[in-house]
This record gives sequence, structure tokens and C-alpha cells, in this order.
Amino acid sequence: MTSEATTLRRIETVSPLRGLGGLLVVELRTWFPWRVLFLTIAGFGVFAMNYAGWRAGNAEFGSLLFPFFGLWIAILLLSVVSLTEGSVLGEIERGTASWLVAMPIGRPAVILAKFFAASAGITAAVFVTGTALYPVLLEASGWGRSEFRVSELTEVTGGPIGMWGRFTSLVDFGEWIELLLALSVFLVFVVAVMILFGTMLRSRTAVFGLGLGVVGVFGVAALAGSFAAASPAGLLRVIIDVSQGRTPSLVIPFVASLLWTTLVLLLAVWRFDRKELS
Amino acid sequence: MAGVIETRGLRKRYRRVEALRGLDLEVPAGSICGFLGPNGAGKTTTMRILMGLIRPSEGWASVLGDDIDGNGMATRSRIGYLPQDPSYFSRATVRNTLRFVARRYLAGSRGAVNERVDETLELVGLSDRADRKVKVLSGGERRRLGIGQAVIGDPDLLILDEPSVGLDPEGRSQVLDLLESLKERMTIFYSSHILDDVERVADHVLVLDHGEIIEQGPMKSFLGGGAATYRVRFDGDGEATIDSLAREPWISMTRLIEPGVWEIGIANREAAEHDLLRTLHGFDGTRVTELRPQQRDLEDIYLDLVGAGDDE
Repeated sequence: MTSEATTLRRIETVSPLRGLGGLLVVELRTWFPWRVLFLTIAGFGVFAMNYAGWRAGNAEFGSLLFPFFGLWIAILLLSVVSLTEGSVLGEIERGTASWLVAMPIGRPAVILAKFFAASAGITAAVFVTGTALYPVLLEASGWGRSEFRVSELTEVTGGPIGMWGRFTSLVDFGEWIELLLALSVFLVFVVAVMILFGTMLRSRTAVFGLGLGVVGVFGVAALAGSFAAASPAGLLRVIIDVSQGRTPSLVIPFVASLLWTTLVLLLAVWRFDRKELS
Repeated sequence: MAGVIETRGLRKRYRRVEALRGLDLEVPAGSICGFLGPNGAGKTTTMRILMGLIRPSEGWASVLGDDIDGNGMATRSRIGYLPQDPSYFSRATVRNTLRFVARRYLAGSRGAVNERVDETLELVGLSDRADRKVKVLSGGERRRLGIGQAVIGDPDLLILDEPSVGLDPEGRSQVLDLLESLKERMTIFYSSHILDDVERVADHVLVLDHGEIIEQGPMKSFLGGGAATYRVRFDGDGEATIDSLAREPWISMTRLIEPGVWEIGIANREAAEHDLLRTLHGFDGTRVTELRPQQRDLEDIYLDLVGAGDDE
């Protein structure tokens, strides 16, 4: 091991983020392409199932979107919780985590790499599915339109359909993207929560169960009202509001959710830094 | 020699179990130090503390001159570590695993890193498995990969937890050769249950039992150093001869085993080889019918120290 001694030198950098780049590449490979493909196919599958039923039944446009959105969001949340429940705890159990942190790799880098890779994968899946479905939705609501009626779209949110029929606003592509963004940021928050639980708990079942519990709590908070605006529940509220034809500001829930996510992530980093690994 | 690894009063408690009970150890620089002890003695716990994976409940430890509570990353840049049961990225190939590890320790061109990876593959005998996924490797091959990833960063200190477990005799021999070849460049601290291996390569030994160091020092003094024991059988009364012999300065002890048969402790093996037989023949009326050195290897000494049943 001497021939290339002049061209290789020991890395002396001391940083909690040392190794982040290398770990990020590894983690991205666990999400791209297969997990992202799975999430995307699941989204298309759910839509195709509903679309076929809607065509056969010759029902109103709203009866296509309602079950589709309900199922899509539920499947995304379940998938994200199940795909991330073992991301930290699984590696601790297998011993990969201790192998990594015995190297000159910062423990924060391990957590951040998992978070960024999962966030990138999930966001990609949501946007690929959502943007690809938009023209199909336009076609379903009648060709020649550059937007579809919220009175048709609103039925997705599960509220009293009769009341929603009164809304006349339109969801254009920008609002559609906003809706997808709100959904993605909420899922990213769920990822951070799952990573935190992975650093705190000793059972993957407990991580999975608590993760679902958190999703449920924020779902209820979103339905409960505007007090949840300064939390990730506000993002779910935005999805409901956009669907109902309102044009709520995404800024407060978006910024609040980023802060919540950062806080949860910092807690996860702090906890993992103190965790004993065997 | 300065201690590359030093601990003072190191303790580790897991609820009601005390895994380490005030460990005081020192691993000299440039040594190959065998870390021995029965299952559950605390060897792996000690290594995990040294690597910063777990925290001691009490006490102090330093590795390569740095307190383990201090700047861990700078120290870890100089350590190669093989855990007892390592787990790698299962979907990565052997080559990519080594490349990943090399990149964590070393900066340089892609070509230089690849060259280092190839050399390491050759070193641990995995060149023909380089492009296989880690998950399809056998236990022995995974062990070789573990050793490869530990040495690829050209560390100053190697900490190896059972490096030869699961290897066939040829693989074990290759590992021992590798450790011997690395001795010039790094200090090696390794645990093992294979005492023959430790005796072959280690020049320093630490024996741990129930969380305490019960013996440590150079292998030579551990095996008796210059001391030796001989068994002598006399034809006739040997007692007067033994009494006279006991006055020699290089005799450390004499003991009657059975009538006419004595065990003689020699403080200086060279003196014994030079003078013992001549001295015995020098006594009138004494006929020596048998003179046999008593061999005690590392295993005998180890079992004396920890008790033959402790490993159960």
C-alpha cells in the first residue's frame, strides 16, 4: 500500500457533517429508483382503479376524485411510515449503524443523510404522480379546459359534498402544484418524526404504531380547524382548502412545518448522538 | 513504550450487570496485543467503549493519546475497527464497500482510491469476489471484508474483535500473516478465543475475566519469560542433590512430585541450558535417569488464570 502514497492522504477534517455526501449517495440508492417507483406505481394504480370504475359507472367527475385522493393520501402515508420505520432502528439492530459511526463519520451525518434521501424520494414520487395525473384529470373533466372545477375536485376531501357544490373557484396548475407541495412537505415532516422515533424506541413495531398515531393526530387537527395552521396539520388544511376552492396562504403552514421538521430533526440528531450502539 | 490505549478505573454497568469493573489496561505502541478472556468477560464492551460506540459508566480511557470523551472523529480517522458481528450495506458490492470506507479515511484521486481498493482486495484474498454483493458472501468472506475495511484507511491502530472467527485454517493463517506484516506500521489490539493464534503473533497479552484485567504484559513474561520448569528423575535418593541444587542462584524452586521425581523451577533458561545438566552430573552418588523440560503454553496459563469451566 505504498505505490499511491503520494496521491492519497488522510482526511483530517473534523465536522459533525463529515461523511454526509457519501452516506447521501448510499441512502439515495435505497430510494431511487425502486422505492420511488413503488410509490409512483401505487399512486397510478389507485387512480387507474378509480378511473376505470368511474368510466364504467358514468358517474360525475367528483366521484372519481373523492376515492382517488382519499386512497392516494392514505397509501402515501402508510407507505412512508412503513418504508421509514426501520431506517434508523433497523440499522442499529443489524449493526450497520455502529459500523458507520466507528468510522470518521459524524453521527449527525447519518441522520441527515437518511432524512434528505427519504424526503427527496417521497417528494419525487408525489410530484411525478401528481403532475402526470393532472392532464388525465383535465381530460376526465372535459377536454379543452386548462383547469378543472373545484366544485368537482372538492369532493375528494370527504366533507359534505352538497355544500361543496356551491364553490365555483378553479384549480389551475399552480394551485395543483401547491397542493402537491403541501402534501410533500407534510410527508417530509412524517419522515422526520419516524427518524426521531427510530432513535428513541427499541421496537420497530412501536416506531410504526407511534408514526401512524402522529399522522392520525395531525389529520384530526387539520380537520378540527384553523388553530393548527402553525403546524404541519396546517398543510393538510391547505389541501382541504384548495380543494374547496379557497385560496389559503401556504406560507404560514409551510414555514411552520419546516420549523417543526427542523426541530424534530434536531431532536433526532441529539438523541442519536447520545445513543449507545452495539 | 507509550500506551496507545490506556484505561483507568473503567466501569460499565447495564442496569444490574456490571460488565467492566474498574479496568486498568495499557496497550504499548507498536505491539500486537492479544485480548483474551472467556465469553462475557467484557472484551467487546471494552472495544466498543474505545471506539466511542458506548459510554463508560465511570473511569477514563485514551486512544492514540486522545481522551475518548474528547475529539472522537480525529481519533477515529486513525483507527481501523472490525466489530464482532459487522453488517455492511448488503446491496453494495465488495469493491464498493471498500471504496466507501476508503473515501471516509482518505482523500485523493479516484484512480488512487481504486488502486488502494484493489490492493486491499488482494491483501485479504477477495479479488475474485470484488464484484459480488456483500449479502451473498460466506461468513469467512465477510470476515475478510471486515479486515479489509479495517486496514484500508492505513490506520495507526487496528482494533479487531475476533478477526479470525469463522475462517478456515488457511484463512486464519492468512489473517495471522497479515497481522504480522502490518505490525511495522500500526499497533494491533485484537481479541480472540484461538489461543494458538494469539501465541503465534501477539507480543503482548491482556487477560480479562468478569470485567477485570487479571493479567497483562509482554507475551514472553506471560509464558514465563526466561523461566522454565524441569522434571528430574533420580535413581536413588535425590534429596541431598536437590538441597544442594536449590542453593544455586538460578534455581527458583524445587518440589517433590513423587519419590525420586522432582520439579525444578529455573529462573534463567539460559543458565539452565548451560549449567543444569552439568551441575546434576557433578553431584557424587546421584544418577539422573530423566531430565525433561515442562512445556506450558498460552492455553495452559490462560486456563490456570480464568479457570477451565468459566467459558461455559
